[in-house]
Amino acid sequence: MAISSKRITINLLLIAAVASIPIIEKFVPLGLHISDPMTDVFVYAILGLGLNILTGFTGLLNLGVAAFAAIGAYVFAISTCEIYPFQLGFWSALGLTMAAGALAGFALGAPTLRVRGDYLAIVTLGFGEIVKDVLVNMDSITKGTQGINPLPPPTLFGHELGGSGQYWLFMVFALVVAIGARSLERSRIGRGWISIREDELASRAMGIRPDHAKMLAFATCASLAALAGALTASRLSSSGEPGNYDFQISILALCIVIVGGIGSVRGVLLGALVMVGMNSIVLVKLTELMGGSDAAPPAALADAHGLQWAFLFVKTWAQNVLISPTNWKFLVFGLALVLMMIFRPEGILPARGAKEDAPDGDEGSSGASGVGGVPGGGASPVATKELRP
Amino acid sequence: MDELLGQTKDTDFVVTGLDGSRTRAGRFVSLSFRVMIRRTASIVAALTGAAFLLAAAPVHAVQDAPNKKLKIVSSLPQTGSANAQTTSIVNGIKMAIDERGAMVDGFKIEFEAMDDASPQKGNWDGQIESANAKRAIADPAVVGYIGTYNSGAAKISMPLLNKAGLVMVSPGNTAAGLTKPGLGEPNEPAVYRPSGKVSYFRVVPADDIQGAVACEFCRNDLKAKKVFILHDRELYGKGIADVFKKTAEATGVEVVGFEGIDAKASNYRSLVTKIRAAAPDVVFFGGTTQTNGAQVLKDLRAGGAKIPFVSPDGTFEKAFIEAAGKDSVTKEQGGVYITFGGVPSEMLTGIGAKFVKSYQAKYGEIPEAYAVYGYEAGCVLLDAIDRAETKDRAAIIAAVAATKDFNGALGTWSFDENGDTSVRTMSINTIEDGAFKFVRTAGGAAKAK
Amino acid sequence: MQQTVAAAEFLAACALSRVDAVSGFARDGLLSSQEVFTQQLVTGLSNGMIIALIAIGYTMVYGIIELINFAHGDLCMLGAYFALTVVGALGVDQWAGTGGMMGLVLVLVGTAAFCGSLNWSINRLAYRPLRKASKLSLLVSAIGASFILVNLGLFWGGLPMDVFANGTSSAAPKAFPALVSADPAAQIGDVIYSRTDLLVLCVTLPLMVALTYLVRFTKLGKAMRAVAQNPTGASLMGIDVERVIGASFFIGGSLGGFATVVYSLYNQTVSFQMGYRMGMDAFIAAVLGGIGNLPGAVLGGILIGVIRSMSDGYLEARWTNTVVFGILILILVFRPSGLLGAKLREKV
Repeated sequence: MAISSKRITINLLLIAAVASIPIIEKFVPLGLHISDPMTDVFVYAILGLGLNILTGFTGLLNLGVAAFAAIGAYVFAISTCEIYPFQLGFWSALGLTMAAGALAGFALGAPTLRVRGDYLAIVTLGFGEIVKDVLVNMDSITKGTQGINPLPPPTLFGHELGGSGQYWLFMVFALVVAIGARSLERSRIGRGWISIREDELASRAMGIRPDHAKMLAFATCASLAALAGALTASRLSSSGEPGNYDFQISILALCIVIVGGIGSVRGVLLGALVMVGMNSIVLVKLTELMGGSDAAPPAALADAHGLQWAFLFVKTWAQNVLISPTNWKFLVFGLALVLMMIFRPEGILPARGAKEDAPDGDEGSSGASGVGGVPGGGASPVATKELRP
Repeated sequence: MDELLGQTKDTDFVVTGLDGSRTRAGRFVSLSFRVMIRRTASIVAALTGAAFLLAAAPVHAVQDAPNKKLKIVSSLPQTGSANAQTTSIVNGIKMAIDERGAMVDGFKIEFEAMDDASPQKGNWDGQIESANAKRAIADPAVVGYIGTYNSGAAKISMPLLNKAGLVMVSPGNTAAGLTKPGLGEPNEPAVYRPSGKVSYFRVVPADDIQGAVACEFCRNDLKAKKVFILHDRELYGKGIADVFKKTAEATGVEVVGFEGIDAKASNYRSLVTKIRAAAPDVVFFGGTTQTNGAQVLKDLRAGGAKIPFVSPDGTFEKAFIEAAGKDSVTKEQGGVYITFGGVPSEMLTGIGAKFVKSYQAKYGEIPEAYAVYGYEAGCVLLDAIDRAETKDRAAIIAAVAATKDFNGALGTWSFDENGDTSVRTMSINTIEDGAFKFVRTAGGAAKAK
Repeated sequence: MQQTVAAAEFLAACALSRVDAVSGFARDGLLSSQEVFTQQLVTGLSNGMIIALIAIGYTMVYGIIELINFAHGDLCMLGAYFALTVVGALGVDQWAGTGGMMGLVLVLVGTAAFCGSLNWSINRLAYRPLRKASKLSLLVSAIGASFILVNLGLFWGGLPMDVFANGTSSAAPKAFPALVSADPAAQIGDVIYSRTDLLVLCVTLPLMVALTYLVRFTKLGKAMRAVAQNPTGASLMGIDVERVIGASFFIGGSLGGFATVVYSLYNQTVSFQMGYRMGMDAFIAAVLGGIGNLPGAVLGGILIGVIRSMSDGYLEARWTNTVVFGILILILVFRPSGLLGAKLREKV
């Protein structure tokens, strides 16, 4: 599994191209404003990479990853903001945030080891809702929906970073996480995760301890999500309101992973670019291009008859909603997702071997039944199927 | 047959599981990566190219005449249920610009309405609001930022715009802490002013006045002895509900319940049972149409609690009446009273009345309550640009701050040293025959503190 | 004892179909704690029955193709818009007496047919091409479909019709006409049994009975159970698997259609964003009962409704979601396959 030099060259070229965007923007006054949304892309890439470890590598579907980002943002906010007594610096707060994220991951992972497949998905979803509600309701600590501000911007060696600085710092963060995820994937731990995804019982037979591996996956995922949350909070100088970390964000993270190519680190990076880019670059530009439109006075529908009525009806309808491009955003987004899945269900850049994996489609609920039960148990094929919920 | 079995691998799961993973491992090694690399590179290249093209397209317009062109932007949530209200604000701003023929001091005025909501959220989104602010800052032609609608969003863009020295005029933020020291967090409003100067102004009166006025109305006009307070747990709704509660307690009205609702719930019947058991004289709801105010009202009526329902200006829009339906808003059912920071469109006089008339002529409907604030924000900004006679952002901030005895649609008013409007007139409105009806004005004399 | 009497009186009221309020409205005294409890229970059961009916749609689809059909809640939302359009087209004022009853049945059946066909088409267009893809791809496709449906709801709200307030603000919530008034069908003490509560009962119960019959005793039901247990085996036995899947989508969707009409009549508000909460409640109900299990979905739905109601009533409303999800997580941790999931193996 040696990495070819050509591959390294291409990777470096890509990194250089991405890194040069702020410089190009500065010197070529095209009015592109893509470095800012790109910074969001990096944050979402970190979130996606974290989720990929849990869902992509280990095969545990998580629909509540935004909760970890919320925990990250709020831990970061409380440990740095001037209205609390801690007032840590950017980097120490980031460290604390990741540790807190990992703890939260353990806290969710440990009791739910027995819960599998889609049941696990709903537990994580519930966890996400609970975290959001608790953050809103404990307003004496979290300021409820007010959000906590101001927060320190990212720093490097004591210097506050501006737009471009943040861009590069976040890019480095995303890169480090990506390389880390890549190395993890190839390490003993990572192979353990993948074997659990493929077949928990068999991997247990091979000496892997699924409970430990799953807990570790949960903690890593949560810790990275918390990092993403903290970085966003620092960039916005506000923790945002708890509602900002709702189910939709978890769904967006999941879409990033799956659209990019589940289990594939490069895929997730590209997925973040496509999904977040679609939202903050393409749709925004599309809106600008089409421009807003003034609604004309509603036609007098009551007086019209027959064909004229039908024409007026459609025309008024169009004036009411159809001509405004913002009203098409959900549709474009949803259509893109469906078409993407139909024509490239394995993602843009599938993980190696994903095509072979695809048909069984069973990552979520591995064949093993009941962790506490006797492994194997001489289950005949049919009996196994029936044991599943 | 093989294909069929391939679909359901669990039919023989132990052996193939082990076997299968070994096979796959073998393929890992033997796979050629070149294809993969080429594919990555081409996809990335194509995507980047597409993004650049898209991004570059609308730029030409800006570059035509770089010196004689100024730009005003607005940032309001236009995706989602606040859409009607924000669209009419945007219309109001456009009318302010059109009235001056889109020219001030020989500068051509351009306007762009930015959306700070995302389809995923259907509501304002902090990241998009931040991106909008940064985009406005980065564009040298932009001299004014009209927004935001939600106070939470303002908290994100205010420090950014303040640091960059770009003036911000809000047509909709009512959270008191944004401008007034001592009413929000201890560090407010200083946190929003990293440069130390005031660059944020609002043409709407803040919540501290409105909550108190609503409570006074319940006590004096509705003769309420016991109130049940509901709020939507959001910055705006809870803020007003808190002020209402404080005023009630200070003036001897008993608060028999104070509850945060779940704005996404399908109905509130259980809560209504709780309210019936507490037997209040009035229910106050701190919230908006978007946070389900109409449903709360409907369930009150369906659950048999036929007492007055009082709510703030977040429900002062046609959408509220439409959502609540004809039957639950009538006086026989207890009545609905809505406070508003200003007087309703129909009751405006002078310039305000003229605005409503021309709005109606142009858009075919009576404007939503906030449209006039959009118009006023636009007018104030253009007036300041006119007086500043320059495109220098700092000079324009100074000119907006110096606005004094401005004769606008909301009457004659000035900005105070915090950036708040001197307008303190509130109105109480009710609903009759499916339309808002003005009841009386209420001065902003009572202040909750 | 008082409860039993109350229940008996209520049943009598149902039999007579309409009994005017027993006592004057809003008696002077406060509700007694027992009356509060009964009222909360009634509310919880009504909400729970609606949730249960939607949950059945989730659980049927899950039982057969193991897909969490994210678009189901939004499908119901579109159903509500369809029903509102029909009501608007027929004229809002024409809903009294026998004609009104017929109209109501028409709206119910029409919406059910609409939702069923729509669900069938969604399966055909967005899920069927993905039969061989991984389950997660299917999930993303469902998420995409849900976004599309939400947007269609937004468009729909802009129709220039009276019921949509001429469509000038398409995103605003729409009032659904009170075709069945929320007036009390019966009032015992201060406990109100409204006519909408009665409606919920009258629509949901027969449907649940009919569905049970369909799944247990008809040929289609047998085929569905077979496909749920083992699609390969079923197809080897000569069952047209795709047809059975399509039928399940149709039936699940049409139950959602019935449910959404009842929901709209009960709450009298529809909005293009209501699908999220409808779907979420129904989904957790299905999981709570053991996803893939029909009686489980009903049990889960009723439990969620009652828990919500009790939590609103006796705790604070702002903690209700936390309570619901907390109970869900606890149940799943101690019974990892839901309440009825382990006992009953059959999935449909």
